[in-house]
Amino acid sequence: MEDILNQKKIVLSVVNLVIKFSLRGRKLTAIREASLDLYEGESLAIVGESGSGKSVFAKSLIGLLDVNGWVDSGSIIYENKDIGKYKKEKPWLKIRGKEIAMVFQDPMTSLNPLKTIGKQIVEAVELHQGLKGQTAKNIVLEILKDVGIYNPEVRYNQFPHEFSGGMRQRVVIAIAIACRPKILICDEPTTALDVTIQAQILQLLKNLQNKYKLSIIYITHDLGVVAKVADRIAVMYAGDIVEIGTSEEVFYNGKHPYTWALLSSLPQLGIKGEPLYSIKGTPPNLFNEIIGDAFAPRNPKALKIDFVLRPPYFSISPTHKAKTWLLDPRSPKVEPPDALKALLNQWGA
Amino acid sequence: MLIAYISGLCDDLIVFYKDKWGWQQLLKYSLKRLVKSMVTLFIVISVVFLFMRLMPEEGYFGQGYEKLDLVQREAILTNLGLRDPWFVQLGHFYKDLFHGDLGTSITYRPKVAVAEIIESKIFYSLYFGLAALVIALIAGISMGILMARSKNKFWDKLGNGYIVFISAVPAAVYYLFLQLYVTDIFNLPILFNKSNPVSFILPALSMALGPTAGYAMWMRRYMVDELNKDYIKLARAKGLSNKVIMRKHVLRNAFVPMAQYLPASILYTLVGSIYIESLYSIPGTGGLLVDTIQRQDNPIVQALVLIYASVGIISLFLGDMLMASFDPRINLDKQGGIR
Amino acid sequence: MSNTKLNKSIDDIDPLLFDFASYDESRAERAGYSNYSYWQSTFQVFLKNKVAAALLILIIVLVTYTVLQPYLPNQKSPTKIYNNPVTGIQLRNHAPDKEFLFGTNSIGQDLWSRIWSGTRTSLEIGMLVGIWQGLIGITVGCLWGYVRKLDGIITEIYNVLDNIPNTIIMVLLAYILRPSIFTLVFAMCITNWLSMARFVRNQIIIIRDREYNLASRCLGTPIGRIITKNLLPYLVSVIMLQLALAIPMAIGAEVFLTYIGLGLPLNTPSLGNLINEGRVIMMSPSLRYQLIFPAVVLSVITISFYVIGNTFADASDPRNHV
Repeated sequence: MEDILNQKKIVLSVVNLVIKFSLRGRKLTAIREASLDLYEGESLAIVGESGSGKSVFAKSLIGLLDVNGWVDSGSIIYENKDIGKYKKEKPWLKIRGKEIAMVFQDPMTSLNPLKTIGKQIVEAVELHQGLKGQTAKNIVLEILKDVGIYNPEVRYNQFPHEFSGGMRQRVVIAIAIACRPKILICDEPTTALDVTIQAQILQLLKNLQNKYKLSIIYITHDLGVVAKVADRIAVMYAGDIVEIGTSEEVFYNGKHPYTWALLSSLPQLGIKGEPLYSIKGTPPNLFNEIIGDAFAPRNPKALKIDFVLRPPYFSISPTHKAKTWLLDPRSPKVEPPDALKALLNQWGA
Repeated sequence: MLIAYISGLCDDLIVFYKDKWGWQQLLKYSLKRLVKSMVTLFIVISVVFLFMRLMPEEGYFGQGYEKLDLVQREAILTNLGLRDPWFVQLGHFYKDLFHGDLGTSITYRPKVAVAEIIESKIFYSLYFGLAALVIALIAGISMGILMARSKNKFWDKLGNGYIVFISAVPAAVYYLFLQLYVTDIFNLPILFNKSNPVSFILPALSMALGPTAGYAMWMRRYMVDELNKDYIKLARAKGLSNKVIMRKHVLRNAFVPMAQYLPASILYTLVGSIYIESLYSIPGTGGLLVDTIQRQDNPIVQALVLIYASVGIISLFLGDMLMASFDPRINLDKQGGIR
Repeated sequence: MSNTKLNKSIDDIDPLLFDFASYDESRAERAGYSNYSYWQSTFQVFLKNKVAAALLILIIVLVTYTVLQPYLPNQKSPTKIYNNPVTGIQLRNHAPDKEFLFGTNSIGQDLWSRIWSGTRTSLEIGMLVGIWQGLIGITVGCLWGYVRKLDGIITEIYNVLDNIPNTIIMVLLAYILRPSIFTLVFAMCITNWLSMARFVRNQIIIIRDREYNLASRCLGTPIGRIITKNLLPYLVSVIMLQLALAIPMAIGAEVFLTYIGLGLPLNTPSLGNLINEGRVIMMSPSLRYQLIFPAVVLSVITISFYVIGNTFADASDPRNHV
């Protein structure tokens, strides 16, 4: 594992990114010095609850932040350029689609209801591959087959409302693929779909990843999705990435109390007849400056220092690190909650 | 750019008609609407009929009321058919209507056929109305697009100022000032004269001012609404520039709700503008309705109401059809007339 | 805090800090409070628009003056005809001077007081019509939109009423009732509420079947309550817009009616009257002031109400409360 990762190229690097919004006259810090690297050809999942800043993070990578938001400090390095510094539209036009593409959450509203889906996909082809007419159309038909839409010639001329949710999401994915990007960001791609369709879409994305050599970032709150697709997992809380590592490391050897809490919340851990575990409290107010560890107020086993000083990254392995004071040699040894331990045993860690 | 846009629209229409509509469905729907409209029309005419007959009897005689005695008055009224019970009068009206006869004027221009009177005037109203409409459409929609593109910046504010002024100040007022000052500055004739082509300009332009503001305002609003929608986000994520998005997605989609009003605007040019026509002495149908009501010329009033009501109903129908043809989601069966 | 700074001081941390802290559950809940107040936000957004704020002040000043004007010293009566004290002849068509601030009209009446009196009248009319329009329009619109059984019938009635030219009704009324402020208001009320009702009905149809209304129905909330608590607040911005626009529209309608001869009698000045009077003599430049002054006052009033109405409508839409 170690060697493989060292040899792989980093395609995207986010360093200490800070994103702020101005809301009703006050400033809110949505992303607080988050950092991560994306390796070529991997699937990286960013997990976190609602409000953790996952979507904001994703949008900032292609410059689609809302008008009242901005990158305050930090950098987003892509191909040796800091795209986080792009303030105007023009430079982003070279990145969007062509280099980094995005699949949005809600397939029902993501497509233009008054244009045929064929036209919407061919638009991307014409723009990024410079082809027109029948050549472009043929490519689109290819892509439609790739994403699993049968009868592409007929479907090409149909309107979005003639497709079901799952099919529409395939169309959205087709549009993203048509751009031939290097990186694909999927913002909750399956949240709006049935469970049965979810599996299909995820498998589709995996196939496409192999065929087109993509690096994919999955944004999700669903650990089930993560388990199925992710090579590496980044856990996000209150605008910061608190733990990042390979899939196995995070699941079986998670070190951050929030990661434990997340895993403990899985209904599979529930014992029949007993109440399900849920994390007490709510995410912190991002208008206020947060001192120390953001998760501390909700953590029954928090240390005093968690309220005073923000923890840096502590490395557990070359590929696994977490921002928690528990990993400091001076801290007491804390074990994951019992229920979680039981589950891990069950899984055969 | 406009040409490309229009041809794009036409493409859509053709594709749509070829694939989407079965002739039977269209026919069934049209028939249903037709029947409903007939009923409405019938009620409207009858009500108007009644109202007109509530007017004081003196009105039928104009100046001559005093000069005639009771017997003579009765004779005249009976002759005009005004003494018959109302349903008989109504019956006569419809019978004549079926024969294509709109009646004869009784006080406005006695003994002259209503159809003739209206015909002689309608051309002028139509001409000015259509001219104003075309100007307003082109100017208004372009303005709306420009405003949406430069939202909250200079052009938007300027356009807004124009719209506010035109919408708030009653048309009568600014028409007056236009006639006063513009004719001075540009040396244009004050009154309309059909032999002088220059005299056609100012009335048409003045009439176009109001609708321009309307179209501009709605176009801008619809475009801004579209800009907030999710599929625009996807279009941006695809890498399309704002200009392209405006042109290919927003414009096209924003036009759909506008299409509804289009037939109405066209057909209402028949009505004529009462202000413009009296200000510039244009012999159109504008003042006709008011005049004839005051003179209690029932046949003309009824004919006019019939025309106007039919126009209203037809244009509603056409508007719905037009909108449905642009938006593939609309299913005609479910409609009750969206406005 | 950057990581480098941290690394330097990381060894200097008091070891005592590495003990467990006491767990305070209330700290976990301290998410954030929202100090959002609907009306406060509405006014904030409204005031951000400097033009609207300025016009609001202008209107307040104007209306106050209009109301107080008759009671101020040195004001003349709007209907009295003034004669030249020396010759005894009526002071017709006098240009504006110190005594007659806006000049006199063709029969010697003081234009200044006529204009303010006219403004009073027009505002009165506008407000009455606006309020009536609001009440009836909203009530009918709500019932029409919400109660499905009534939808069909009322739609047909609407279609019929809409197609009857307003002019007929106006003329009829002018014959039956004598021209007066009451007649005018009555006539406008009868014909204008339709558009408001239709508008409200369309809006209600759009939100009638939204989930939160379905939820209320499931809970057994009576219709009246659903309408007043769920639907109407949604319509506040729209309704405010219509009400504010009622005044410019009433003035416009009044001008129209006066134009076709159905307006107020001459001894009750109104902005419509004055404009028409001025129109008659507008061809001679020296007398043009008789048209310009009422026109300017009218424009100022209508534009102000229009802008204020629109800005308020935008401001009261919670989606703009960012």
